[in-house]
Amino acid sequence: MATLSRPKRWDTPFSPDMTDEEVQKLLEFKEIAAIDKEKFPASTPLEGILKNDARTVNYQSGDIVIREGDYGNSAFLILSGDLRVVLSPGLPDEMLGRTKIKKKSFLEALSQLWKKTIIPEVRDTERYRDRSLRRGSDSSTAQVFLQDVPAVLDSNKTATLGPGALFGELAALGRLPRTSSVFAETSATVLEIRWQGLRELRKYDDGWREAIDKRYRENALNAFLRATQLFSHLNDDTLQAVADTALFETHGKFDWHVTYNKMKDLDNASVIKEEPVIASEGDYPDGLLMIRAGFARVSVKKGNGRQTLTYLKAGDYYGDDELYRAWKGEENVSLKVTITALGYVDVLRVPSNSIEEHLFSHWEASNEKDVAPLDIELFDQTLADGSLREWTVQERFINGTQTMMINLDRCVRCDDCVRACSDTHQGNPRFIRHGKTFDHWMVANACMHCADPVCMIGCPTGAIHRDLSGGMVIINDDTCIGCETCANSCPYSNIRMAEIRDSEGRFVVDPENQKPILKATKCDLCAGQRMGPACVFACPHEALKRVDFREAFSGVFEGK
Amino acid sequence: MIRLWAYILLALLFFGFIAYWSTFAEQFLGHPSQITGWALFASVAFLSLFSFRKRLPFLKILGSASRWFLLHAIGGFLALSLFWLHMGSLWPTGLGDEIMATLFYAVTLSGIIGLFLEKLYPHYLTRSGVECIYERIPGEIAEIRSNAEEVLVKCAEETGSDTLAQHYLETLHWFFQRPRFFLNHAFMGQSAQHWVRHQCQILERYLDEKEREYLKQIFALADYKRKVDFHYVAQRILKGWLLIHLPISVAVITLTFWHLIVVHVYFL
Repeated sequence: MATLSRPKRWDTPFSPDMTDEEVQKLLEFKEIAAIDKEKFPASTPLEGILKNDARTVNYQSGDIVIREGDYGNSAFLILSGDLRVVLSPGLPDEMLGRTKIKKKSFLEALSQLWKKTIIPEVRDTERYRDRSLRRGSDSSTAQVFLQDVPAVLDSNKTATLGPGALFGELAALGRLPRTSSVFAETSATVLEIRWQGLRELRKYDDGWREAIDKRYRENALNAFLRATQLFSHLNDDTLQAVADTALFETHGKFDWHVTYNKMKDLDNASVIKEEPVIASEGDYPDGLLMIRAGFARVSVKKGNGRQTLTYLKAGDYYGDDELYRAWKGEENVSLKVTITALGYVDVLRVPSNSIEEHLFSHWEASNEKDVAPLDIELFDQTLADGSLREWTVQERFINGTQTMMINLDRCVRCDDCVRACSDTHQGNPRFIRHGKTFDHWMVANACMHCADPVCMIGCPTGAIHRDLSGGMVIINDDTCIGCETCANSCPYSNIRMAEIRDSEGRFVVDPENQKPILKATKCDLCAGQRMGPACVFACPHEALKRVDFREAFSGVFEGK
Repeated sequence: MIRLWAYILLALLFFGFIAYWSTFAEQFLGHPSQITGWALFASVAFLSLFSFRKRLPFLKILGSASRWFLLHAIGGFLALSLFWLHMGSLWPTGLGDEIMATLFYAVTLSGIIGLFLEKLYPHYLTRSGVECIYERIPGEIAEIRSNAEEVLVKCAEETGSDTLAQHYLETLHWFFQRPRFFLNHAFMGQSAQHWVRHQCQILERYLDEKEREYLKQIFALADYKRKVDFHYVAQRILKGWLLIHLPISVAVITLTFWHLIVVHVYFL
């Protein structure tokens, strides 16, 4: 019989370079010395967190530590040196190592006809020579850096972050994009704590929890509540009162894409059983559940399994109808559905007494009830009606905002879509007309430009980023170092590593080890083209669509 | 649907206008055949533009391919109507005109057949339960064959019997070699399914329990290969009809130019 030691949480530390001596030094640092070590359980000691969930990183003057808009999974504590946070309006995209999307003119668009080449993945290698990249110790690490720090300081509003300052924790815990960029003004040493460690610090240390929660309440919570339709009518004081009572919860795993790949072969029932439960069918409603980030499955018991009715995404909420009915005196009110985390989900639970005091009393006074109970039709749907929805939730295609959906009953397999994609990308198609199928629908292997883009987590240079104007996830070829982090993270296998060639068709190799230079490639939604995605534009039979399933389920697909 | 009916209406209006104009042309010392001829030439030229549009997917100004496809299909019927109007009959006289008419009817017929196939096959391809990229089908078949041969080797090793392997070499090997039952698949026939089932059935009585398990695996692979074969046939036809339609279209356009020159030099 084969044996294997049971995998443990810290089998793969954040950095193998963290030593016990370094941990002892960190324990003397003021912000860490203030932590009460005794409150940590024996299985998760503070020393263990520092050794396995943190690493020290040295930055040189000008190095960018975090970029506005990036998705990160770690927070930073400055140990020495000074960093600068760039205040609004922030640094230009080019300075952050991103692509500036410029729409092609008519002639530029037409020139693609003769500019495409039969040699695949040709690059002008001269272009890479003036990039703002500083190589790390091995080929998989690199830093984007600002070349002229004094000029950046002169032309941008910045604030100094000195030793002891913690930043990036809200984005890391909430899986939200970074709100500003931070760079090193002087040489600096920073403790980077990955989200798992940060979660434990928040959980066991009152000081860190209070500090993080306070900052979240000050910086983001009010804006989030204000953006929710339910609370949009509340004045600042009442909104603050609601915010003060809100509880933060995280369910599931931040790196859900890893477990998703492992769960691919499991049946639906087994997958749902594995999902962390946020609220159970039949339970008493104790508060309003608001989704801040991630996705949650809404299901009911059906036979020996569970039927997925719908899903909740960032900005959605559940429980207002049940709470209102209970408040109005209806007896035995219970939750009609079970809500489980699909991968990772960040939830705000606003307690019932707060909702009753600030929301329902307002409704009563103004004689308007703004409750939107879960669509009754969802409860009445047959298994056949909801099967496509069940499948898209099961496969997590709901994460896509521009999922390539092909109606196979219309598709004549002519590959005009692939040719059009190739024609608009110098002869290199950026998707494969192949993928998972359900009934007469296929979700093709094309980047879905996810709402929760796990591919962006861990990119060392920020080459893969979300374009703030169009919302698409794109890769800056100039700053991509071919580390494959994004390709390995994409749960849908929609990023491909290409071995690049020079204009004569020769493979470009690293002179140090003769290994080919790789670049991550994927669908960029034809950013820069005026007609939008060429694949859609080129389909003669209207078989191919780019969809956001939430919009699609409101009538485009079901019933057809 | 609104777009479809709008284009049909436009085509009808255009045809009505040309028919009306050509009827009264002689009263104004014009040539009716010249009017219908130029209208026909314009519609044929427009139809040929679809091919160019496909090569320019990045020009927004040209509009979507689906719109062009609709216009191409409706324009084809309009061209046919104008062709009849221009000739004044269903078949012309004179060898040159007869060649042109033959080619024109051929391109129209191939277009209509193509349109029909494009509506028919996708549905059946989807119902086959597998999805294959055409260019990868030879590789897919090779992999199925290799899996089948692996099963045979395992069977022989475990059971010590070569009955299944012998039968494979005598019959099933032919099936696994390359796509088979082309014509039958083209007409959505069941011959391949029947043949595979029959070959497995006649062998069953000579096998023991263990061998039957291996036969089941071979049957599953053969059944999968049958579906891949159907994809090969259907996709080949879907791609292939254009190889008839396009060259004839080029011939029609070339002869149309020749016809124009001849008419203008000798008759007008």
